[in-house]
Amino acid sequence: MSQSNVFFFKRGIILFTLTMTFVLSGEISANKGLEIAIKADKTSEGFIDSQSSMEMQLTNRKGNVVTRKMKSKRLEVKGDGDKSLIIFESPRDVKGVAILSFSHKTSADDQWLYLPALKRVKRIASKNKSGPFLGSEYTFEDLSSQEVEKFSYLFLRDEDLDGQPNHVIERIPLDPYSGYTKQIVWIDKKNFLVQKIEYYDRKSFHLKTGTFSGYKKYLDEIWQASRMEIVNHQNKKRTVLIFKDIAYKTGLSDKDFSQNSLKRSR
Amino acid sequence: MQPVKLDISVKTFIFIILAVFSTTTYGEIELLGEVSVEMRSFQNEGLFGQKENHSSFTLSPELYFESGNGKDFFSIKPKFRKDAEDKERNLKDLQELQWTHVSKNYETKIGIRKDFWGVTETVHRVDILNQTDSVDGFDGEDKLGQPMINLSLEREWGVLDLYALIGSRERTFAGEKGRLRMPFIVDTDNPVYESNEEENRMDFALRWNHYFNDLELAISHFSGTTREPLLIPTPEGNSIKLLPKYDLIDQTGLEALYIIEGWVLKLEAITRSGQNDRFTALTTGFEYTQTGIFDTSLDLGWIIELNHDDREDHSPHAIGTRFSFNDIDDSQLLLGVLWNESTGETNIFIEGSKRIGARTKLSIEGVIFNGGKKIESNNFDFGNVNPLDFLQEEDFLRMELTVFL
Repeated sequence: MSQSNVFFFKRGIILFTLTMTFVLSGEISANKGLEIAIKADKTSEGFIDSQSSMEMQLTNRKGNVVTRKMKSKRLEVKGDGDKSLIIFESPRDVKGVAILSFSHKTSADDQWLYLPALKRVKRIASKNKSGPFLGSEYTFEDLSSQEVEKFSYLFLRDEDLDGQPNHVIERIPLDPYSGYTKQIVWIDKKNFLVQKIEYYDRKSFHLKTGTFSGYKKYLDEIWQASRMEIVNHQNKKRTVLIFKDIAYKTGLSDKDFSQNSLKRSR
Repeated sequence: MQPVKLDISVKTFIFIILAVFSTTTYGEIELLGEVSVEMRSFQNEGLFGQKENHSSFTLSPELYFESGNGKDFFSIKPKFRKDAEDKERNLKDLQELQWTHVSKNYETKIGIRKDFWGVTETVHRVDILNQTDSVDGFDGEDKLGQPMINLSLEREWGVLDLYALIGSRERTFAGEKGRLRMPFIVDTDNPVYESNEEENRMDFALRWNHYFNDLELAISHFSGTTREPLLIPTPEGNSIKLLPKYDLIDQTGLEALYIIEGWVLKLEAITRSGQNDRFTALTTGFEYTQTGIFDTSLDLGWIIELNHDDREDHSPHAIGTRFSFNDIDDSQLLLGVLWNESTGETNIFIEGSKRIGARTKLSIEGVIFNGGKKIESNNFDFGNVNPLDFLQEEDFLRMELTVFL
């Protein structure tokens, strides 16, 4: 073996090793990211069904606050995404408007809108989910069921957030109609609860930051945040979402998430 | 004008409801209402000397309560409208007086209520349960309450609704001083019915609807007194008046909606017999929404709907763009054109709305009629009239302020 051949051979090994390290570590960090996401998902698994009242506080750039109220019902579906019903209570002109959605793990969600003035149930394209929800900084995508299967994952690092050790993972929406290119998620190491999400828009610009607080454990197994806040860094507006009267295992069934139930939702 | 018939049957019904609810514990009770003031400004005086400015006032209180076990729901919602110019536009209507009962395997809705069928946006061909309060809005989406018994079965194969419709309601038409009106007055005091029972006939309808992933389907049938009367010219003195003729019809309807990516494709088709020859009519088109236009929160929704109707040589098509600003006031604007391919007539419309504060909403509507021949009030040729000829002086702007109580 000539000098130069040895050189190339050695360089080849180094290159191979480097590539493998990169590929394997990539795979490891993807697996680790997914593992953390699955553990985080488990913290709210097994809720069967839930009901809650929500208050949305919208703050504009000048600090003026307006409030929206709604009710929410959810039903866990084995092997698929959750069913949910959101009923608006205020402002008054949209009172009784309701959205029924069946989220799916991999395919697009099914969604129906009920317009009480016309007594009309209207199927809507769930692809249009990246627009503001009720004029807030949340989109329907942010508030809908966050199934593990809807993203690919990457473990980034461990770091402290507000003095608590956290895992930091990146998740990339698999749906091409998502309003985001990626989300960076902070999940606390102790309980695997989502603490913070940074949302990157279609141009990979850091658009919004969401924080989750006031976690409480219900029925000894289900964790639920009582306060969510999202800040839009572009328009400087923010929205706070407060959950009240949270109840689990209330006896809801498929019948409470049907077109007929949508028509009589109040 | 159609007075509320608070007759024996309604009283009996209220009594039954109260009896049912007096035996259960009450759940939620709500007292709500809407008050609105409307102003319509026309560009010119009407062909028959009607005034340029018309105003009206509408009041619609609502009482709702449900039983403690969440199985019975009751609502009562009258609607009163007073128009300053046109007495035919005055209204006293019971929009709702209904009792909904939810059982394990079925749901019943008994009383006066509204129910909508259909998928399209500009023309509603399949929708037939409720009579149109055509003097209220230009879009034909304002309805009168319909007495009925509805049995609804929700199963794996879809939802089947069976309806017994108790009597029928007459369509509202503008009076002599009203706008928009036809060159002859529709004599709403002397309707002609095919049925011997006139407006008291019991009619029947059914509808099945279901969805298969991204496809929504519905098939319906209605058998009874038409909601869309033929207008029969009848001499009266030196003039002519139009008598609304309510024939017995059979109408079968098909609704289909398919979602493909961001597109919503829609079809509504009907076939109707009983009014002259059997005819078919359909509306088909799409709705496509672009979200977050120009890096703002603005959504643009595009609507195109094409029409065919055997009864007309030419049906106008609709093109519209809906601007949803997604702001705190939920500001919306819809700009559109109805275009009649064969006569070249167009009808440009704008609709907008915006919330003011937590309890008030401002709506505007404007329509410009283009391309029709101008008609002199007492000189026109019947055989050579296009649909918009009578509406050349009727361009208007309507503003409505609604306060929610």
